[in-house]
Amino acid sequence: MPERASDRLVRMLGMIAYLERHDDVPVEQVAAQFGVTPEQVMADVDTLWVTGTPGYLPDDLIDFDASSYEQGVVRLTEGRGMTRPLRLGPREGVALLAALRSLAALRPALDAQSAAALDSALAKVQAATGDAAAGVPVEVVLQVDATPAVAAAIGTALAGRRRLRLRYVDASDVLSERDVDPVRLVSQDEHSYLLAWSLAADAERKFRVDRIVEATVLADAASEHPVSDDADGFHPDASGELVTVRLAGRARWVAESVPVESTRELPDGAFEVDLRVVQPSWLRHLLLQVAEEVLDVRPPHVAQDTATAARAALEAYAPLLGPTTGEA
Amino acid sequence: MPPAIPPAERLLNLVIALVNTPGRMTKEQVRASVAGYGDARSDEAFERMFERDKDTLRDLGMPVLTVTHAGHGDDIGYRIDTAHWSLPPIELTAAELGVLALAAQVWQDQSLRADSTRALTKLRAVGEAPEAHDLVAGLAPRVRAGGDAFAPLVDAVQNRQAVRFTYHAATTGEVRERRVEPWKLLARRGGWVLLARDRDRDASRSFRLSRIRGPVRPVGGPGGFAPPTVQELAEASRAWMGGDGPDRTALLAVTPQRAGALRARATTVPDNAVLPAGAADVLAGRDLVAVPYRLDWELAEEVVAYGDAVVVLDPPQVRDAVVGMLRVAATLDRLRPPGAAHLAARHDDVEEARGA
Repeated sequence: MPERASDRLVRMLGMIAYLERHDDVPVEQVAAQFGVTPEQVMADVDTLWVTGTPGYLPDDLIDFDASSYEQGVVRLTEGRGMTRPLRLGPREGVALLAALRSLAALRPALDAQSAAALDSALAKVQAATGDAAAGVPVEVVLQVDATPAVAAAIGTALAGRRRLRLRYVDASDVLSERDVDPVRLVSQDEHSYLLAWSLAADAERKFRVDRIVEATVLADAASEHPVSDDADGFHPDASGELVTVRLAGRARWVAESVPVESTRELPDGAFEVDLRVVQPSWLRHLLLQVAEEVLDVRPPHVAQDTATAARAALEAYAPLLGPTTGEA
Repeated sequence: MPPAIPPAERLLNLVIALVNTPGRMTKEQVRASVAGYGDARSDEAFERMFERDKDTLRDLGMPVLTVTHAGHGDDIGYRIDTAHWSLPPIELTAAELGVLALAAQVWQDQSLRADSTRALTKLRAVGEAPEAHDLVAGLAPRVRAGGDAFAPLVDAVQNRQAVRFTYHAATTGEVRERRVEPWKLLARRGGWVLLARDRDRDASRSFRLSRIRGPVRPVGGPGGFAPPTVQELAEASRAWMGGDGPDRTALLAVTPQRAGALRARATTVPDNAVLPAGAADVLAGRDLVAVPYRLDWELAEEVVAYGDAVVVLDPPQVRDAVVGMLRVAATLDRLRPPGAAHLAARHDDVEEARGA
């Protein structure tokens, strides 16, 4: 997709302000500063060179030192009054500030230096947005449900490219230990997971951070692995059993937050979802949560499994419930 | 005919002209003198181009002022107010820019991402050195897109402008128009939610953006309602974000070797812990585990998944919520008549927070 004219305009204005403060900057360094290629920097400088105030005679134009430029070094000699850095627009300030605030959830995974940078960046952006900072209309909480020790170990291993030993409880509540090379910590509004290369499986795996009981940074360096680009997406597993659940309308969130294979609308706001189930315990968990909205489950053994688990649990509660309310 | 001037260059020429003009520039002066506008093929094409460019500059945060000439009311000119052009005097370190670059990646929503990326570009101009990525290597914070309703709602919240939209209520299946005063947008537990005052019900409500059908339309002008008080906003968001208070602690009876994920969060059992009657029987063969938590329904939904491996001893409202879910689930293998789904009352917060 070609760059939008407004984005290029903002960068070119940013370059003038930057070059006003920094003399004789190599093209490569300008490129690194603005996150673009050296070719793009040269295209931007060429455009800046022919812009200016109406009349567009030599004295009206933004100007650079031509002999330095031939050496690949940019020196601004005339800024035409555009050398002060442009303030943030109201939506820009809000978007960046809300994102920065959401990063607070990552604090346990940051070392002291990064945490300090987060604090000072937040303070400076808040100062830069002024009044807009008070009433930010967007609020995001990233769910990094790791214990502080686990988050710190993950952060250290990622920053230092080290191997991790995880004690992990899977969705079936089975604890195991495995060594992994961490790739990235994906933190989201729903939950967070560590994408890592499992050495035992010799394949990429996702580990929900709230199920990592213990993480130990090992002395070994992490190796490079061929992690697929779409590794972050959740895809229904075609090998799983096909289960169809009919739900009342207020369980709509299920269709919105669980990887369903298909959804069908029914009269009265009810709907059906088809799920591919690899781990029966995962489905049992879901059905226990939404039991009150479940109208039907196929195949029937799935409903039996969940109901049996629920009755066993009620039995466990019996001593707490007293004779009149206890039932199973 | 000379080659057409690219839009970015035309916009830059307009900005420079409006910053440097001694007084103001009228539209006619812009058309006649600013490079790029001579390309317009007709009066209408020029008008459209100029209006769009002016909006673009304002969206980018440039203070474009409208100046009328004394004595000539319909004679309008423009200039950029250089007194309000600049960022406050700040400088950013490489590490700070690295954090900002990470923040700019958070949004999967296109408009928010474009806005935060432009903010980053502006701040790079006051960076001492290129951003340092190594400090935040491997971190990938992400918040999903809010859909078509998102951008107009952000603007409406910011401008305090009431809106109307068609909403599909999950509870009843009812689809009808809502007129609301938008307060805040939250991303929590897997979806975007609008907190607002529903004008027809005269009460605060939350709306899932995924259930808004069709466009969001303004009702009245900007500044059309009083912002919510701190207390109103806190109450509206409580079911979503939890209270401001410290985490509470639940007491659980856990089967040995089970629920490792819950145990990992466990804290020391408080000395003053009071166990309910019958707890001793439950604890025979189970461990007493204290777990901090924020929201009753969140903990209940987590615990119920463990079946008989985890029993809630305290607090009672979490225990009752779990028992309520279990009682319904225990009937799942019996034939139930259609429409008899709502057998047990769950905690109100759950429905509220699920955006029913």
